[in-house]
Amino acid sequence: MFGAGAMTNSIPEIRDTELMFVIGSNTTEAHPIIAMEMKVARQRGAKLIVADPRKIWLAEHADIHLQLTPGTDVFLLNAMAKVIVDEGLVDRDFIDKHTEGWPALRDNLAKFTLEEAERVTGCKAEDIKQAAIWYAQYKRAGIYYTLGITEHTHGTDNVYSLANLVLMTGHLGVRSAGMNPLRGQNNVQGANDAGCSPVFYPGYQKCDDESVRKKFGEAWGIGEGPGPGKNLNEMMKLVEHGEMQALYIMGEDIVISEPNCNVLEESLKTIEFLVCQDIFPNMTTPFAHVILPGASFAEKDGVFTNSDRRVQRVRKGVNPPGNALPDWEILIDFAKAVGYDMPQYQHPGEIYAELARLSPNFSGISYERLEEYPRGLQWPCKSADDPGSDYLHKGGPVIGKGQFQSVEYRPSAELPDDGYPLILSTGRVLYQYNSATQTRRDAGTNAKAGENFVEVHPDDAEKYGIMDGETVRIVSRRGGIKAKVWLSGRVQKGCVWMPMHFAEEAANRLTNDAGDIVTGTGEYKVCAVDLVPLREKKKAHGGAELQAVRHPEH
Amino acid sequence: MLKKTADRERVLPLLEELGGVTEENVKRVHELTGVPEADIWGSGTFYHLLKGGPGIRVCNGLSCRIMGSDQLAADLKAKGKEVEEVSCLGQCDRAPAALDESMKVFDAAKQKRSITPDDPRLPLNLGGEQNFEYAALKKARELGRDGILKQIEASGLQGRGGAGFPAHIKWKGVSSQPDPVRYVVCNADEAEPATFKDRETMLRRSDKMIEGMAIAALVVGAKDIYFYIRGEFNAEAEAVQAALKRAGDHVKDWNWHFHRGHGAYICGEETALLESMEGKRGMPRLKPPFPHEFGFRGKPTLVSNVETFACVPYIINEGGEKFKAWGKTEAGSKLYCISGHIHNPGVYELPLGATLEELVQAAGGYMGNPMAFSPGGASSGFLPIDKRNEPLDFKGLQKAGTMLGSAGVVVLNDTVDMARAAQWQLEFFEDESCGQCAPCRIGSRYLHNQVTKYLETGDPAALKHANDVGWEMEEGSICGLGMVAHKPLVDSMKYFPQAFEKR
Amino acid sequence: MSKTFNIKIDGKECVALQGETVLQVARREGIEIPTLCDDKRLDPAGACRACLVEIDGQRRLQPSCAWKAADGQDVKTHKVSERVQRHQDVLVSLYMADHKLDCEGLPIETGNGNDLRAWAKDCSTLQLEPVNAPRVARPGDVNPYIEFDPELCVLCARCTRYCDEIEAVNAITLTGRGSETTIGTAGMRGLLDTSCELCGGCIDTCPTGALIEKKAEKTLPHEVEKVRTTCNYCGVGCQMDLNVKDNEVVRVTSPEPGTTVNDGNLCIKGRFAYDFIHHKDRFTEPMIRGEDGELHPTTWEKAIAFAAEGMKKVAQRHGPEAIGFVSSSRCTGEENYLMQKIARAAFKTGNVHQCAAT
Repeated sequence: MFGAGAMTNSIPEIRDTELMFVIGSNTTEAHPIIAMEMKVARQRGAKLIVADPRKIWLAEHADIHLQLTPGTDVFLLNAMAKVIVDEGLVDRDFIDKHTEGWPALRDNLAKFTLEEAERVTGCKAEDIKQAAIWYAQYKRAGIYYTLGITEHTHGTDNVYSLANLVLMTGHLGVRSAGMNPLRGQNNVQGANDAGCSPVFYPGYQKCDDESVRKKFGEAWGIGEGPGPGKNLNEMMKLVEHGEMQALYIMGEDIVISEPNCNVLEESLKTIEFLVCQDIFPNMTTPFAHVILPGASFAEKDGVFTNSDRRVQRVRKGVNPPGNALPDWEILIDFAKAVGYDMPQYQHPGEIYAELARLSPNFSGISYERLEEYPRGLQWPCKSADDPGSDYLHKGGPVIGKGQFQSVEYRPSAELPDDGYPLILSTGRVLYQYNSATQTRRDAGTNAKAGENFVEVHPDDAEKYGIMDGETVRIVSRRGGIKAKVWLSGRVQKGCVWMPMHFAEEAANRLTNDAGDIVTGTGEYKVCAVDLVPLREKKKAHGGAELQAVRHPEH
Repeated sequence: MLKKTADRERVLPLLEELGGVTEENVKRVHELTGVPEADIWGSGTFYHLLKGGPGIRVCNGLSCRIMGSDQLAADLKAKGKEVEEVSCLGQCDRAPAALDESMKVFDAAKQKRSITPDDPRLPLNLGGEQNFEYAALKKARELGRDGILKQIEASGLQGRGGAGFPAHIKWKGVSSQPDPVRYVVCNADEAEPATFKDRETMLRRSDKMIEGMAIAALVVGAKDIYFYIRGEFNAEAEAVQAALKRAGDHVKDWNWHFHRGHGAYICGEETALLESMEGKRGMPRLKPPFPHEFGFRGKPTLVSNVETFACVPYIINEGGEKFKAWGKTEAGSKLYCISGHIHNPGVYELPLGATLEELVQAAGGYMGNPMAFSPGGASSGFLPIDKRNEPLDFKGLQKAGTMLGSAGVVVLNDTVDMARAAQWQLEFFEDESCGQCAPCRIGSRYLHNQVTKYLETGDPAALKHANDVGWEMEEGSICGLGMVAHKPLVDSMKYFPQAFEKR
Repeated sequence: MSKTFNIKIDGKECVALQGETVLQVARREGIEIPTLCDDKRLDPAGACRACLVEIDGQRRLQPSCAWKAADGQDVKTHKVSERVQRHQDVLVSLYMADHKLDCEGLPIETGNGNDLRAWAKDCSTLQLEPVNAPRVARPGDVNPYIEFDPELCVLCARCTRYCDEIEAVNAITLTGRGSETTIGTAGMRGLLDTSCELCGGCIDTCPTGALIEKKAEKTLPHEVEKVRTTCNYCGVGCQMDLNVKDNEVVRVTSPEPGTTVNDGNLCIKGRFAYDFIHHKDRFTEPMIRGEDGELHPTTWEKAIAFAAEGMKKVAQRHGPEAIGFVSSSRCTGEENYLMQKIARAAFKTGNVHQCAAT
């Protein structure tokens, strides 16, 4: 039911909510405009609960800040669920009508006591309890989360735990409520919509469904389409093991973006064939056998689908530079060159029409209609007179019943130890975007955040004898990078935090490539690291020599 | 947007404590209160007294100017003193006045000031001894809300701050709000040029004011009572605190709080005062909503003037009718301040509706040949002396196109150049405009510039648009300051055209 | 549904909803009332005084932006009220006495437009002598995006209120008092040294062009073509207008508040980080790796043939399981559709994914 990974509700609904539960989302920095809606809601009196290991900006404005130990979300969320049960705040009617698996979940919650939750998560029991009660009591209560939830080896369990909360309180099919993953990229949703997923054909039609394969196969003139493939994390592993020998990469820097990128880099040196279609050189393009210069968003037509399932137009304003071409044109030429009979689409509108024709969820969307809807059309949008769907599951889950999923708490794959005593989490800053190939080419964004840094708690800094502004080496079992120390009360003691934007000292040289069992998503939010001061140190402080001995390889 | 834990109300007191607005102090206050630095800077730079820079403050209010404040400033400078010329200090009965570095009146001993002598029959009786038996408060408790309101209504008491709004309507307005949290605020930010009656009331009869506030709090159901006392009034604030101590158990049912002004005339406007109490720039709010529904911290709030509160004990003790009977054309007795070209400047308690002639008689007669007077502070503009027999009351003066305002009367004799007097008053309004709305901010500067230009060139063309601009200030400004700021010039041009001819 | 009732504006019967202001009703009815300080995202300030109207029963003119419509109210705007028209004439004259004017004596227009100019043209203005208000700017502000010209500022405080109420970073403030009032920061520091996040919302909301984008100061609004598109950064899907002049994006502006998902807001990335589009580092030629191991520019024909050949060879040699397609959440829906179609239809592999998971 949450398979599409889209927000159940809409961004403009946020300002009318009564309660926001923001978890694993540094909204003000990663989704500033959604954060503005949250600020408006708060001004209008909505309660705000923030669960985040760091004191992010929103936390300063929160009624309750659950500053949990990284990777303990499952425990926190299940403890909250238990409170809701214990306080008699579950929505029986909704559970009876619209869900399955309630008794099993309820029984499974017994072990998640508040006392144990306080010990595991580091949050005060009373705060967890109050947060749970408020969440259950308010009707228009929405959950907002992002990669702080999914980028864990237990990311799927986190999502299930959130879904359990939504279902048990009936916060679904209600305006300004629901379960709302905030998507990190302009068109993550759209790429999934279009079927760039190993398990879905366009429109979330499953690859393991023969009728789907036949439908697409016939439409594309190939008989039956292929079944499920490998996800990105798996593909990268295959590349590393030499079992995947050619990649066609469009608009993605796999090296900077993948966890533990050191190994991937090595294997790209020997890959048989690599096509990179992009607009800028990046950390992957040096390995390419052919570079195909594409177009930026300002140079082509098309659509993006945003976080709340909103299909909106992208319009060409200027020509691509030099001989670069819009990516859709390149792909048509490439398909023809490999001998596939790709239609000669004259305009992306024709491609969209084909996508919409094959996908019931989008069948009411067309370029003509998008001209009439300056706010875009939100899918599902199934016919030419369907105004689209602002929030989903009105009157009960769209498909079948909501499944409660009992989960167990599993610690993160790599926990701190004597050699690597700190927990590193990575994330984004407001001023840069992903691998920063675009944002680092602008004066203001760089003036605000132009170089790599590592947030360190003052107590930890004292222990290491390091000072604000000095450069240190951060090492994990997988690699080491340099960054400036930023002493900050935003991180907890025992935790450090780094942005992921800076290619020359990429945080993903440190992160753990252990993936989530279901999605394969890497564990970017928790890995064990150590700090190595780089400056000459007086004997009295002692730390440097010791560190260097401990991590001679880095 | 403020953090949940931010405490904006501490911002201005902290800035004052730390010695004014500097980058360093702003940072410190930010750390202490959680209020964003820019907000602290914005609030702090609004207030004159937070700019720092000690020195002797020489008053350049009208009464002090005509009594030689320029000479005083020059003399002090010649002695090597650091001198700052400031808006009216509310010491017009000691003109030319100045405050020393610690806000004490400079050379106070040399100057005399007058009040109506002790007369126990008078409702306010500034000359009398303070009395902390608080019989009125006791009686008020017996009367209860409706009984008190009945007396207030019968007394015909109008707000003494300047607007003359019927007190019982305001009190009822607050007490009938659905929100259970209400506040009482005493507006003691007396800064209307030529006005110093609240100053004397606080110094001499805080007993009455405090008792009146307690009775008001009974009626409106407030637990917390606030003073907002002009920043320069240190001795007055001390007098109030001493009186409060003496009132002791009589007033222990309420929490009494002190806020001090920080040097902004506009904070005498009740909504600007509330903004200032909340730690913000003292810019008047749009009305509606009025303070009785949306006041301090957004709660129903009764804001009244020192004198208004001080009238209340008499009304409760003696009955509303008796208070009313004191008046001539309107209800009650009234404290009139008078200064300028008369012999005994001071505060006189007379029946409301007394004429200038009667007031001047009380004040020892005219000095020289009287030519003009200002009936109620700078805001009231100027009237020709032939109006000396008109009653000085709220409604009558309003009909005459001026106002009683704070009853700060200034008499000018024929040695004064009316164009110059208008320029002085406009300099005041330009300095004290809050800057929020264009009619007042630009208009007062424009008129000040133009009358200055006229004085420099003698060419009346400089004033050709003065009436239009004055009209717009009255029509377009947000608050009362902007509405009247043109009057000193525009009224003078009307009544004293000969002073604005080509010269 | 909210309660509705009728009010009269300039004699016209208008339907109003409970809670609406007179200005909101007038706008819906197509009755134009000038405003400077109004921004529908912000609480009404009533500070610019442009929108004053006569309201039956009220002694004073009242700001229509803040005045709530009430049943049976009779409202008169400048169109029928001489009093309101005179007010506007003198008010505009005052603003102009405090404003930078061009050689025709009209408020000058910058890259960010100037609403005062249009309004001045509609009024019969007095020629008031300039008041030379002692307002200061922040000359030492080296931030690369936002410029403030105090001589074009009408102190409507939209920028400071936006910074407080919407962006909530409180970097800028009204500072000083009276005719010295200006837009400042703590210590009058440059924006880079404040809590400013450079969202540029202050520029967007400024009605008179006192706040201007440094990168595009000179390009006047009528010189550009605006192309509505969707931002290419995070997943909010903000709508924005590329301002195009001579095949170059010279500026990005945000749509009217209330018309798109982003309600007229943009962040630093969407509004300002567009330099990459025309950056010299862009790939402009297809390139093939030669025998020397280096990448060399080539023609599209050769590059496409080379790419097709390379992918096909691996697929033939190792089977479709040995090739993968990595698509992009940065590209359009159509391009992603084509990518997976190529993988599945042309190469018969399900190995197609994008960075959605990460």
